[in-house]
Amino acid sequence: MNGIKQNLRVRKITGTISTDDIIPGRYKHALIHPADMAGHVFENLLPGFAQTLRTGDVLSCDSTFGIGSSREQAVSSLLAAGIVAVFAPSFGRIFFRNSWNLGLLAIEIDHLPALEGDTVCLDLNKGLVIGPSGVGCFIPPPTEMISMVEQGGLLAQLRQSI
Amino acid sequence: MSLAEQIITAHSNHEQVKPGELLTVSIDRVYLQDGNSPTIRRLFAENSFTKVFDPSRIGVFFDHSVLSPDAKMTDRLREAETFATNLGLSIFKAGMGISHVVALEEGWFEPGTIVVGSDSHTCTGGALQCLALGMGASDITTAMVTGKTWLRVPETVWLEILGIPGQHTRTKDVMLYLLAKLGQRPFLYKSIEWIGKWLNTLTLDAVATIANMTVELGAKCSFLPPGQERPDTLTPIQQPDDGDPRRIVLDIEGLPPFVAKPHSPSNSFPLDECRGEPINYVFIGSCTNSRLEDLAEVARVFSQEKVHPSIHCLVTPGSQSVYLEALHQGYVETLMRAGAIVTPPGCGACLGTQGTIPASGDRVLSTMNRNFLGRMGNPKAEIWLASPLVAAHTAIRGSIPGTGDLI
Repeated sequence: MNGIKQNLRVRKITGTISTDDIIPGRYKHALIHPADMAGHVFENLLPGFAQTLRTGDVLSCDSTFGIGSSREQAVSSLLAAGIVAVFAPSFGRIFFRNSWNLGLLAIEIDHLPALEGDTVCLDLNKGLVIGPSGVGCFIPPPTEMISMVEQGGLLAQLRQSI
Repeated sequence: MSLAEQIITAHSNHEQVKPGELLTVSIDRVYLQDGNSPTIRRLFAENSFTKVFDPSRIGVFFDHSVLSPDAKMTDRLREAETFATNLGLSIFKAGMGISHVVALEEGWFEPGTIVVGSDSHTCTGGALQCLALGMGASDITTAMVTGKTWLRVPETVWLEILGIPGQHTRTKDVMLYLLAKLGQRPFLYKSIEWIGKWLNTLTLDAVATIANMTVELGAKCSFLPPGQERPDTLTPIQQPDDGDPRRIVLDIEGLPPFVAKPHSPSNSFPLDECRGEPINYVFIGSCTNSRLEDLAEVARVFSQEKVHPSIHCLVTPGSQSVYLEALHQGYVETLMRAGAIVTPPGCGACLGTQGTIPASGDRVLSTMNRNFLGRMGNPKAEIWLASPLVAAHTAIRGSIPGTGDLI
C-alpha cells in the first residue's frame, strides 16, 4: 500500500459520538453480518444519514469519536456503509483499536481542511490530508499499525502467523 | 515505574517499557459476554480457528440477554452456548450475573495480572489492581487463540483526592462530579492511579464503582489503593513529587451528591440543582451499582416506605451471590414489599435489549454508567444517572430529591 487515498468525500459529524450513537445496542444482539447493520448507523442521532452514505466517504468529527461500548460492530458497520476513514481530534480507545484492527483508518487531527461534501486526499505515511482549503497534518500512525492494515487487519495477520 | 508499566513489563519480554511504546504482552485471562460472542463465533469460523490458548482461562458470561425478548436473540445465545461448549470454555450461564461483578467475586481479577474482556467495563478489575482492558471482538479472538495481545504503554496520571465528601455522597457521585469538572481530556488513553485517605476507608463494592467508570473518563485503566475488604497483596500507590504535571488534585471536601442529566455522564450537576425534576421509571442495577452495598442502601431507604404510584421501579442484582445474600439479609423482601420489581441477575435494562425498555417520553433515573441517547432502547426517553441512594429516594418521591431530603 502506498498509503495514499484519493477522492474521499467528507461527511461532517458534530459533537462527542458514542458507539451507541454509531450502532444502537439492540442490533449487535440480533444481527451477525455488518452488511445488515450498515443501514442502521447513526439511526438515533441522525435519522436518514445512513441512506446518504456511499463508498469512499470519510467522517470528520469535531470532538471525541467512538466513546463508550467496546462493540466492534461500530467499526464493521461503518466499513459496511462505505466509510474508509474517520478524522477526529481524539477517539474512544477501544473504538481506535477496533478501527485499526479492521482496517478503518482512525486519524487523530484537530481540524480537516474541508467542508461537508468536499473531496480530500489522504497520505497516511506522510501524515497529510489535502483539501480545498489547505493541508492538514497529523502524526502518521506507527508502522506496525500500517503494516497490520496492509496485511488485511489483525485476524489476517494472525492467520498468517499460525 | 507506574503500576501499568510494572505489570506490562512483567508480561512482556522487555526489561523496561516506556509510555507510547507498542508491544505484545501475554495475558492471564480472557472473558466474553453474550452481546459479542456471536461476532467472535463468526470470526472463529471465518478464520478457521479451532483452538484456544487455555480454555480454563477463558470465561463466557451470559449477562446481556438473560431473559431474551425475541427468537432472533435467543438463536444467537444458543449459537454462543454451543461455541463455548465446543471449545471447552468456562461458562457462566444466564442468571449467574454480570461478568464484571462475578469476575470480582470469583477471583478473575488478580492483582498484577492482565485480563482482557469483550466489554468496555472490564476496567472494573482496576479495583483489585488488575490491568483489565475492554476490547473488541477481533482483539478478543486473537487473545483467545494466542494468549497474547498488542498494546500501547499508557501514560499515567496520579489523581489525588483531598478531603471527605458530604454524608450522602457516594463514589458514584464523585465520578459524576469528576466527569463534569475535568471531562475526558486529562485522562484519554491514560492509566489513572488513585490516591487519597478517603479511598482507603472505602469497601471493595464502593471502589468497584470508581474503577468501573474509568472508561467513562476515556482512560485505559485505573488502579485503586489498598483499603478495607481488599487483599493485602495490593501495592500502595506512590505519587510523584509536588508540582509534577502528571499529578491531578481533586478536592471533594463536603461534596454534595451529583446527578447526570441526559445524554452524557459528563452533563452532571449538584443534586439540589435537579431537585423536583419529575421521574417515572427508576432502574437500580448495572455493573456500576448492583452490588450488595448498593442493595443494602436501597433497602434501608425503602424500609417502611412505598414506591411512589407513578414510578416503575426495577432492581436488578449484579450477581447470583448478591441476590442470595440480599435474600438472606431480608433486602429483597423489603424491596418487593415497597413495590419494586426484583429481576434475575444480569445487565438488566441498561443496554436496551431487555426489560424494561422505556416508553417514549419516559424520564428514567438509573444507577448505570451511561445515559447516551437511546441507551436503554428508546431514543425518545430521557435517562438521568445517580447513586443508589438518590435513586431510592427518587423512587419514593416520584421526583428527584434534594440533599436535605436524603434522610
